[in-house]
Formats: sequence, C-alpha cells, structure tokens
Amino acid sequence: MEKMFTKLLLTVFVFFLVLQVYAQETTITGKVTTADDSTPLPGVSVLLQGTNLGSVTNLDGMYSIDVPSGEGTLVFSYLGFVTQLVEINGRSSIDISMEEDVSELGEVVVTAFDIDQSAKSLGYAAQVVDADEITKTRQPNLVNSLQGQVAGVQITSSGGAPGQSARIVIRGVNSLNPGANNQPLFVVDGVPIDNSTVESTGTPRGMSNRASDINPNDIESMSVLKGAAATALYGVRAANGAVIIRTKRGKAGEIKVNINSSVGFEELNRLPKLQDLYGQGFSGEYDPSSFWPSWGAPIAEVAQTVPGHKYQDNWNRAFDTGVQIDNSLSISGGSEKATFYGSFGRLDQDGIIPFSGWERTTAKLSGTVTASEKFNFGGSINYTNSGGDRVPHDRFMERMMYWAETQDVRDYINPDGTMKTYGNTNPIYDARFATYEDNVNRVIGNINLNYSPLEWLSFSYRLGTDFYSDSRTEITPGPMGIDGENPLSSLGFMEETRINSRDLTSNFYVTLKRQFSADWNVNLRLGNDVFERKFDRVALSGSDFVIPGFYNVNNTSQVFANQSSSVRRLVGFYGDLTLDYKNFLFLNVTGRNDISSTLPKDNNSFFYPSVNLSYVFSETMSLPTWFTFGKIRASWAEVGKDTNPHILGATFVSPSVFPLNGQVGFSRNSTFGDPLLKPELTSSIEFGTQLAFIDGRLDLDVTYYKSNAKDQIIPVPISDATGFSSYITNAGEIQNSGVEFVIGADIIKSDNFTWRASANAALNNNEIKSIREGIEEIIVGSQFGYGGSSVTMKLIVGEAYGNIYGTSYQRFGADPESQFAQKDLPMIIGDNGFPARNANQLILGNAVPKWIGGLRNEFNYKNFDLSFLIDFRADVEQYNQFDNFLAAFGKNEYTEARNDVIVFDGVLSDGSPNTQEVWLGQGEGPDGRDYGAGYWRNSYRTISENFVQDASFIKLRNVTLGYNVSPRLLENIPLSSIRASIAANNIILYTPWDGFDPESFSAGAGGNAIGFTGLGYPGVQSFYFTLNLGF
Amino acid sequence: MTGIMKFSYKLKSILGAVLVLLASSCEDYLDVNENPNNPQDAPISGLMTNVTYQSALNVFAVGDITSNYVQYLASPNPASSSDTMEPVSYSGTWFDLYNVMTDLYVMIGKAEESGAGHYLGASQILMALNLGMAVDIFGDIPFSESFSFETVTPVYDSDEQLYGSVIDYLDEGIQNLQGETTISIGADDFIYNGDIDKWMAFAYMLKSRYMIHMKGGAGYNASEVLTAVDNAFQSNADNAQVFFFEQSFNPWADVAIDNANLFLGGWISEQFIQALDGTSYPTVDPRLKLMVGTTDDGEFIGTVNGAGRGNAPEQGARSTLVEDQYYTTITSPLLIGTFAEQKFIEAEAAFDTDKGRAYQAYLDGITAHMTMLSVPQVEMDAYMADPSVSMGVGAFTMADIFKEKYVALFLHPETWNDARRFDYAYRNMSVPENLNPDLNGQFIRRLAYPDSEKSRNGNNVPDVSLLDRIFWDAN
Repeated sequence: MEKMFTKLLLTVFVFFLVLQVYAQETTITGKVTTADDSTPLPGVSVLLQGTNLGSVTNLDGMYSIDVPSGEGTLVFSYLGFVTQLVEINGRSSIDISMEEDVSELGEVVVTAFDIDQSAKSLGYAAQVVDADEITKTRQPNLVNSLQGQVAGVQITSSGGAPGQSARIVIRGVNSLNPGANNQPLFVVDGVPIDNSTVESTGTPRGMSNRASDINPNDIESMSVLKGAAATALYGVRAANGAVIIRTKRGKAGEIKVNINSSVGFEELNRLPKLQDLYGQGFSGEYDPSSFWPSWGAPIAEVAQTVPGHKYQDNWNRAFDTGVQIDNSLSISGGSEKATFYGSFGRLDQDGIIPFSGWERTTAKLSGTVTASEKFNFGGSINYTNSGGDRVPHDRFMERMMYWAETQDVRDYINPDGTMKTYGNTNPIYDARFATYEDNVNRVIGNINLNYSPLEWLSFSYRLGTDFYSDSRTEITPGPMGIDGENPLSSLGFMEETRINSRDLTSNFYVTLKRQFSADWNVNLRLGNDVFERKFDRVALSGSDFVIPGFYNVNNTSQVFANQSSSVRRLVGFYGDLTLDYKNFLFLNVTGRNDISSTLPKDNNSFFYPSVNLSYVFSETMSLPTWFTFGKIRASWAEVGKDTNPHILGATFVSPSVFPLNGQVGFSRNSTFGDPLLKPELTSSIEFGTQLAFIDGRLDLDVTYYKSNAKDQIIPVPISDATGFSSYITNAGEIQNSGVEFVIGADIIKSDNFTWRASANAALNNNEIKSIREGIEEIIVGSQFGYGGSSVTMKLIVGEAYGNIYGTSYQRFGADPESQFAQKDLPMIIGDNGFPARNANQLILGNAVPKWIGGLRNEFNYKNFDLSFLIDFRADVEQYNQFDNFLAAFGKNEYTEARNDVIVFDGVLSDGSPNTQEVWLGQGEGPDGRDYGAGYWRNSYRTISENFVQDASFIKLRNVTLGYNVSPRLLENIPLSSIRASIAANNIILYTPWDGFDPESFSAGAGGNAIGFTGLGYPGVQSFYFTLNLGF
Repeated sequence: MTGIMKFSYKLKSILGAVLVLLASSCEDYLDVNENPNNPQDAPISGLMTNVTYQSALNVFAVGDITSNYVQYLASPNPASSSDTMEPVSYSGTWFDLYNVMTDLYVMIGKAEESGAGHYLGASQILMALNLGMAVDIFGDIPFSESFSFETVTPVYDSDEQLYGSVIDYLDEGIQNLQGETTISIGADDFIYNGDIDKWMAFAYMLKSRYMIHMKGGAGYNASEVLTAVDNAFQSNADNAQVFFFEQSFNPWADVAIDNANLFLGGWISEQFIQALDGTSYPTVDPRLKLMVGTTDDGEFIGTVNGAGRGNAPEQGARSTLVEDQYYTTITSPLLIGTFAEQKFIEAEAAFDTDKGRAYQAYLDGITAHMTMLSVPQVEMDAYMADPSVSMGVGAFTMADIFKEKYVALFLHPETWNDARRFDYAYRNMSVPENLNPDLNGQFIRRLAYPDSEKSRNGNNVPDVSLLDRIFWDAN
C-alpha cells in the first residue's frame, strides 16, 4: 500500500512542477480590509475573471496582480466573506472592503486537519455551531451545548449530576456491539482528543465524559461532520462522525481582555406524581419501624394519636438547590508577526443531591508566529484540573424509595456520627459518607509548522498530545464500633484507582494547489497520520478497616490489587483531491489506508475511498431572482474500522482474589478473539440539496443518507458451555437511513430590530440486517423490575436497535407468533378477577427516537437580544424503573386507589366480558377474600408493559435575554464592551412521561443501553446570571 | 526549469527515503498487540489452585440456591422467588460451573501433554464433581460438544448419558492417580494439599454419591456402591473441603456478617429448626445451637418459607446464621464431600441387603457429623442413646437415614438431590407459602435453564417445566 502511495505522490508532484508560468504586462496594487472594523484582511484571493491570473493579499491586506491590460474584472474572494467583483477600468490601484457573509451560505466549516472550507463547496452535510450559540447555553459540558442545534445529532445528558457525562450520537447507532463507542471523534485545533467516559466500578457515580474538560468559553466554533464522506480523512476513529472544535485565537491588533462571570442555580425539573395519603407500614397498618414506606395506615388517621406524624414531603426536601459559579478571563492580541490567546477558567458546581459537586480549572495558551512569508508555526497548550464528589446517585434514589414518607429524611445523623434511622438506610447519610472522588489532571497540546517553499506547495506538520491522569478514591465506611449503630457496610471498603492515559498524534501532509486555467482549480493533499494511545489503570482496594474511620488501604485486613494497561497504534496514509470547475462544480476524491496494531497482522492494513460531488446549479441556470442559490450534492464513502487492543486469541486471567496462601490461581479468560478478525467496513451514501431564496434570507438544507456497517466486530455472546462466554468476531450488519432538514429565515431585518429563526429536524430508521448464524439475539442490557418485570434491550434480525422486551398483559385474539405486545386488543382477565400476565418477552417499545430536532429564535432590538432554543424528540419509549419501584412501594399517586373495589375492563379467556368485582387493597378485602399483598404488588408491578412508557419531550433548552451597553457610553471608561444576560435551561415544556426527567438514563455516556432510565441522577433546570466585560 | 527539476529530484529522494523508512519501521511499530494484562498460557499449578478453590465455591453457589428449596433457609421477605420455587434464571451459577469445567478441560489437556498423571487424575475427579452438580440441578446440559470450540451452539446431552461420563471420569481419575506423574501436586491444591491417597478416597466417595442417585434405576448395583464406599473416606480427616482465608472469607460467614449488619440473609427455616428443637422429633438435637443463632431471648425460632418475617423486626426475633459457628467462621471450610455423607450413602446402599451394616453406618454418620461440630461427648452420648435416634435395627427405616443426612448435610446441595429422591417426605415438610402457582401445589424438581443460555443457544435448549424430573428422580 505504501508503495502505491509513493508512486502516486511523486507522479502528482511532477505534474504540478511542469506547469508553465505566464508572462505579465500591467500591475495593479491595493489593500483589502474588512467592512466591519477596517482591519486588513490577509489571504484574500484576487483573480482576473475568466483567467487563471491571480494573487493573494499579504498580512497587511496588500496585494499586487499583473494583468495583460487595464481592462477586465477582478474577483475578490475570501472564505466567510461576500465575494466582490470589481471592474478595473484602467485603474492601477484598487482598495476594497469586504463584508462578512452572515447567511448559512457563507458558513465556514472546519473540515479535516483544521482546514476551513466554505459550506458551499462541500459535497456532504455539515453544520457549524459558533461561540455565541455554545456559550449562551451555559452548559459546563460542551457536548450538552450542542443539544437541539444540529440536525441528526442526538445529545442525551445521562443525568443532572455536576460534571455528569452526556452522550452524542450522529445518525443513529452504528454498531451491534453493546459495548461499542458509537460517539463521534472529537478534534480540537486539528488534534483528536479523548472523549471516553470511564465509569466507576460498582454503583453508578455519574462520571464525566472527557470532553467536558474543555472550557466552552475557549471555543470559537464546533463543526459537526456527519457522514463517512466528511470523516474519511480522519480514518477509523471517526467512523461515527467527527466534532471539529476550533478554539479562540488571537488577532492582530490591540490586546483584548475579556472577563466572563456567571452564577447559576439548579433545581429538580420534574417529579413523579406521588401520593401523600398513606404512611409507613403494610396491609394498611401503621408501623414506625416497618421496612415498608407507604403501605401503612392513612397518615391523617395515625396523626390523631401519634404526635408529629405527617407526610414529610421528602421528595422535595431531600434535594438541595444546586449552585454553579463560572468565571473566566481571556487575553488575546498580537501583531502581524505573532498572535496569542490566553485564558483562565474556573467552574464550581454543587448538585441537587446533597454532597455532590464538580470543579474545573482550566488554563490555555496558544499562539502563532509568522516567521516569514514561507514559514509560520503555532502551538497551544491547555491544562485542566477537574473532578468532584460523585455521590452514589442510583443508591440515593433507591434509598429514597425505601425511606418512609412519614420519617424526616433530612434528620439523618446522630451526634456521635452514626446514622439516624428507624431501620432503613438514610439516603443523605449514604451520599455524605459513601464517597467517591476523582481528580483529573490533563494537558492537551499541539504544535504545528507550515512551510510553503512555493506558492502552490506547502508542507504542514502537526504534533498533538492529550495526556491525563485520573486519581480516584472510593470510601465506604465500616462500623464505628458504637453499640446499636446501622453501618453503611458490614466491613467497610475503599479503593484507590490511578489512571494514566496518553494520546499522541502526528500528522504530516503536503498540499499542492494550482489553478490550471481560468476554469479549473485543483487542490491535492497527501499525508501521513500516526496515532498512539497508552492507557494504564491500577486499582488497589481494601476491605475491613482495622481502625474505624482511618481511611488508608494499609488499615484494611483484605487487600486486592488490579492492573490493566493497553497500547493502540494506528498508521494512516491518505490523499485528498479536490477539483473545482468554475466555482460551481466541485469534485472531491479521498483515499486512506490505515494499518492498525489491534487487528491480526495479515488483515491489519485496509484501504477505503470516498467521492463526493456538488453542483451549484444556480450559477449555471437562469433562475427567478428570488431564487438566490441552489446546490445539489451527492457522496459515496467507505470507512474501515479496527477494534480494541489486545483482544485476539485466548488468554488466561488471574482472578483478583488471589494470591491466597501464597498461591496465584489462573482461569481461562471467557472472551475469545477471532484470530482471523478483519476490519469492519461502513459504506454510506448521501444526497442533499442546499437552497437559498430572497437574497439568502431564507435557506433550506435537506439531506438523505443511508449507511451500512458490515462485518461488524462484535463480542458475540455465546453459550458458556462452549468454554467461552463471548466470541469477538466479524458478525452482522446494521443499517441506518434517514432524512435531515435545516431551515433558516431572516424574518425581520431592520436597523433596530432583527428576528432570525432556524429549525432542524431529523428522522432516523434503523434495522439490524444480520447477526451471526446460530445466534438469535444480542443482549445490549437489561434492567431490574419487581416481580419478574425486568426488561431487556435485545438486538434481533429484522428489527430496529433499541427494542425493549418485557412482560405484558395477555390479550384476547393476540397473534401468538407476533414479537410485539398487541396493546390495542382487549385484556384477558384471569379467574381471580385480575388481568392475566403474559410472561413471554415481547417488544414493548423502542428507545431510539424516530424524530429529533430543534428550533432556535433570535431577536435583536437595539441593545437587547433575546433567543430561545427548543428541542424535541418523538416516537420513543423508555423503561421507567422508577415508576416500577414506586408502584411496588405504594408511592405513586395512582396507588392511592388501594381501597377501591373495581371490575377490570377486559374479557375472560372465552371472550365474554369480565364482571368480577375485586378489591385492590392488601390482606382481607370487604368481600372476606384474602388479597395478600394486594393488586399493586401482586399484579401491576409485575407487568413490564406498565412501565415502558412514552418518553418524548419538548424542552426549552435555553432562553437568554441579553443587554449590551452602547459603545458610546463606554468611551470614557476603559471598557470596550459590557454585556449582561439572564438565561434559563432545560425546562420541560411537554412530556407524557410520569417521572423524573426522561432524558436521564442509567448507562452513562459510554453505554448503549439507552432504554433504561433507572434510578439515575434526576434532571435539573437551571437559571443563570452572566456578566461579560471586554477591555 | 533545471532548478525545478533539481528540486523535484531532491524532493523525490527525500520523500522516497522517508516513505521507505516509514514502511519498514511500521511493522515493528505496530507490533504491540500482545496482551499485557493476561498471559497466553498459565501454569498447571495455577489452574489447580483456581479449580480447587472455585469448585468449593460452586458447591456453595448451588447450596445457596437449594438451601431454600430444602428449607434449611428461608427468606426474611414474603413471597421471595428463592423460597416460592419460581423459575429464577441462575445465569451466574451456570457460568461458574462451565467456567470451572472449561479450566478442567484445559488442565486435562495440559496434564496429558506433560505426563502429569496426578494432575490429570485430580482434574478428572473435579470434572466429575462439577458435571454431576450441573446435571443434578439442570438435567440435560451441553457437554460432548463443549470446550473444544468447534461450534458456538453446542448440543445438549441427556442427563443419563452424562452420568455415564461422571462415572467414567471418576474411574479414569482413580487410575491416573495410581500411576506415575511427571509433576507432583502440592500447596497449589486447596483441597488436599497434594495428598494423592485422599484424592483417590474422594473419587470413590463421589462415585458412591452419584451411584446412589440412580438407586431404583437400571444399572444400579448396591454392591458397587458398597465397594466404592470401602475404598473411600476412613474418617472426617479425609473430608474434601477448602478452608477459607483472612483475605477471603468463607461465603457463609459473609452471609452471617452481612445479616448482622442488616443486609438480610441466612435466615433459618422453621422446618429446619423444628426438626432439631424437639418439635418434629422427640429429642432436642445438641447440634442446633452449634449450627444456628438464637433470638435475643435465646430461643430458636424459624421463618416460614415464602411467608417472610411478618411482624418480626429485622434483627433479634428469628434464628439466623451467626458468625463464628462451625459453618460460619471466616476461615471455616466449605464442605465438598464428607465422611458423614458417605456413611449415610453406605446406610442407604446396604439397607436392603445388610440392614445391620446399614444401621451401623447410620449411627456412624451421626457420630461423624457430631464430631465434626465438636459436640461435647456427654451431649453426643445422650442424643445417640435416645430411642428415637438409636431405634435399633428392627425399627430402623429409610426415613431415619434421610432425616439424619438432612441434618448432617446442612447447607449442602446434595440435600436437594436427596429431597427429590425422597419426594420431600421429611417430617412436617410442606410446600412454601405463596408457592409458584405453576407448580400446582407440588415441590420444584429442577432449575429452569438460565436466560443467558436461552438467548445464546436457544435452538438447543430443551423445553422443560420445573416439574420435569432429572432421570434419576423419575425412578
């Protein structure tokens, strides 16, 4: 493969070299500046229309062009600015000022290797979110700031914990592997960074996805590259798309200082509907020491004899008001020779679950130096320290569930430090003392060098590193040795985890650019890319503290150590050829060959091409004047994919319990990696159109895509009886197809008032085309439900990703072959008068939303601006585990119906209507019959169908009202700008879901079991006050 | 032109050199995929350590399931699926059994290759143990197509056929232990510390256990059982067991410690308490106080299976496992096979042909268990002298054997095999409250196949109900 590239490279070189240089006659000079603030604009292309005679402005915005005569038209063009045509008319000096192109048409997309490209020329769909749109959301996690802003991109916040991870999936899940990372590659200033989420072992703690180490205030723009065509040049790691982040840079001119301060408050955004009539006990009987929190006597009745007995409103009182304080300072500036940008940021956040918190400190310095016209270099370094107190949020919510509604949950500690309780574990005590802290130190840096020996030739090299250490300490105290105490654990436990991860990326490329004639522009890029990740994790755990309260592993009687490390290396060679004909036809062809250390040696080198074409038909056809712009585009691309390191063949493991008696035991690993593994291949096609009307005031972008990921490398779960439990092999295919719409309109555009609206929506269809023969299903995950109502997310051929299986009601006339619960048929009522349960696992819903989208409105009136962003998802179901628990413990509102006598609506097994009256309560009913634990526990909670619910929502993601102080008023003070704003986030406008925020899910951003909301950290809504000062 | 040509030439050579360099160094650079965490191979002694340790834990894991069925234990929560004989998916136990059998399969291969006859014999014996346990709870299971990885969907072999393999493994194991070995077993063996004679005795003991299961069926031969017994354990000192560690507690001790800290578990069934406290039988068994804890008032009160603890608080009002007794000390042994069990097998096998021998074996079985628990001699004598215990050869019945074996095999999975063979005919034993309605008022006869197996090997998994019997139970 490499040889082929050498040849190709050299041929192309020679081809470029032999081009002739034309003779010249007249010289025209001039200066190009921006219309906005009259600063010089370097790099503007100046071209004599209809020829290939051209020049480029220098750093001072000056240009000089030789033309055959004093006639003709000069074309001034620069990415992101409106192209200008100027008649020469015999002049020898022409100065012009160029206006920024604010329409979607002028959008600049940052594509592979930090290269700017006009959206107009792209043969695939890409969307840009700029600094303003990012910082307005005030999301500390930059992934969350993309919510609702980009068509076809689903962001799911895994919960409301400070620093908690958010998941991003572009155009649906592309892998059958339940453990696969389906998220896009994150690239900062041309260097890929790590966005993994390393979850805690044991109970979920809501860890961070590593991209949240980036301070959103430092970001200039985020370009989202969706399809394989867009990301083919990044290679295997961008098989799920890419998010290209460009950070802010210094600009030549005065030194600018910017201070941004924001304070925010968070609270629960939604609570399930709860009952407040019945208190602690079982069978309607009051018992102040009962495990049962809400099956007891009516609270009002007991209160007459027991002083202080009341509904404690624990669900509102257990949570705090979260506080978020975010301060950042940036300094930027530079001269024509050098620019710099430096910033500090500090974020402090306290969550709504008591004792949860997260902090982030960032420092960034970047700069560029133009050493000569031929050579420039730059670099940046970003340091982050982040981490926090990760409360066991699942356990917190579970313990809230068990906690009696008539016992004060806030009264949780005795003076001697032991837990105060009537019997059950107090959730707040657990959150306070069962701690888990992480502390991440991270450096992301890069240096880049650019050398252009000739006008049409440049060499670029970029070396990037992303290094972090993550130090974690988990402590669960044991007994204090005080009589009668209720300890959190019978022995006590602690674990120290140390993670070191280092990414190195080296990228060298050559760019050859040439205009062949007036009509043809050619741009060729050839390069080499090397990536390495080294990951080390060491964990040391101890249990049974000898001295209570002294938390050091040396103080435990049982100590275990665990170590794992990995290395992954990738070498890629790539070429990228762009042909531009008369600026209306663009052809882009790419090829890349990757060699991965993770695949078997014979199969580790693989090539994949892409081609895309865009045609701006509005340039060649005569269209009505209101039809401003029209383009169609098409692309086809393949992307290969390797696998995780060190998975091939069979290995042996030493279970962590050893050594015992000085002996170390070994067992064969239950995972077997196919020694003949070959790379996965995803091929995708995409068609789209971009249209603009009425001088660009209305624009529309529509894309259709279809992608097929074949030869998927998945750990196929196999019968334990084979000697392995998991066989990593090429098995199966998954298909995603869909449509994306982006529409924007400048509805009002006057001097004092503007209104711009933009909306996006996306439809995704997913189908599992095949799984390895003999394997009927792949289980993505399952979640517990009481009484056999546990649900499972399974993949089955012919069905979509995300189906949730569980128990349902038996239904009269149901097709026994159907995999789906037929909810529109009448229920069958059993002989006991209660609905009959179907224990077979049927499909009850699908957790992947069919539709997602967002709507943004921006209003400007004089110095005020108002914007709001609404996003939605529709046609999506999730398992509401919380509801299942609430039903089991008699806490939701509907369980107030516990003393009713009713006749269930349904038919008997012979089809005749049910007429039997039954009581819903516990114990002996009014009819003298023993109803045992009652309807809610015996029947309702055991049927998964009751808890797989519509999880659609419409959310007000963000609303911001801002005021910018007039520059006139600032003339006499050293400030150049003042802006104050208030904002609100994540307000649920509509959802049929009865529970906490349906967006939260159990698995964390690293997981794919998105159908389970579990008992996770509840979602929050927040309010912010922000002040921004510029000097 | 020439300048450009020269430049081109220079460039060509530099680029060419760089690419060639890259290509050649590439291969080495990318050769980093060997697993740094898990070795490609493991020493046979490391496997021995793990299989002896894990086999003991498997006995615990199965015993943990069956102890509620035979009503040694009862859940403190009402209608707990462990008590009420619901079709629970025991994927974890299924995995544990196959995981050890996989290691044993690897060990057998390695031992054969290296001529390590003693390791070969020991691994065959443990294979018989784990395979036998798996068949006893699940019936038909995959085995003949297992471990070699020729198929990912292995077929199920009949339980009866697999019993043949169990006996074959034991016979081969005995033969290999009698022969030469290139490597000797030592401290890597957590069961016998390399004592080959004891391993052989253990093999004979297991042989008698699996043969007695088939009593009443074709191919059962009482004299074969008695021959095996003759070659098996001579005393408690031969017991197959693994002592636990300060670094890794006996799992029953864990249950007791957790329960003391209100992570509830290890509650004693009323059935067991009443069998020993003088309710169901005329005598009070001196072992009761050495096996289970009392209430705060010093009483033995059991929990009714399936009923939960009712109004009883979480602590102090019911008998539970408590730490520091014979079964529940941190370093207590997990019992795999005992001399006491063997004596009751002998009693059962001899009952029809030599009742005198049977009676003596029955008495010896009780004594062996009492000795194991260190029952004071006076109390032991008093119990043994009680006419309801030493009823004499004439009055001696099979029910007496099953009753005393029930006590002597406390928490051991073998009791569920006995219970099914004995049709749960222990005195006063009745189905749990809130019994799984699908059982139509009858006791459970097998475990359901785990969900993991149904989803991974669905075409081969037999369709069975919890009332379908294992082949030896059908007799």
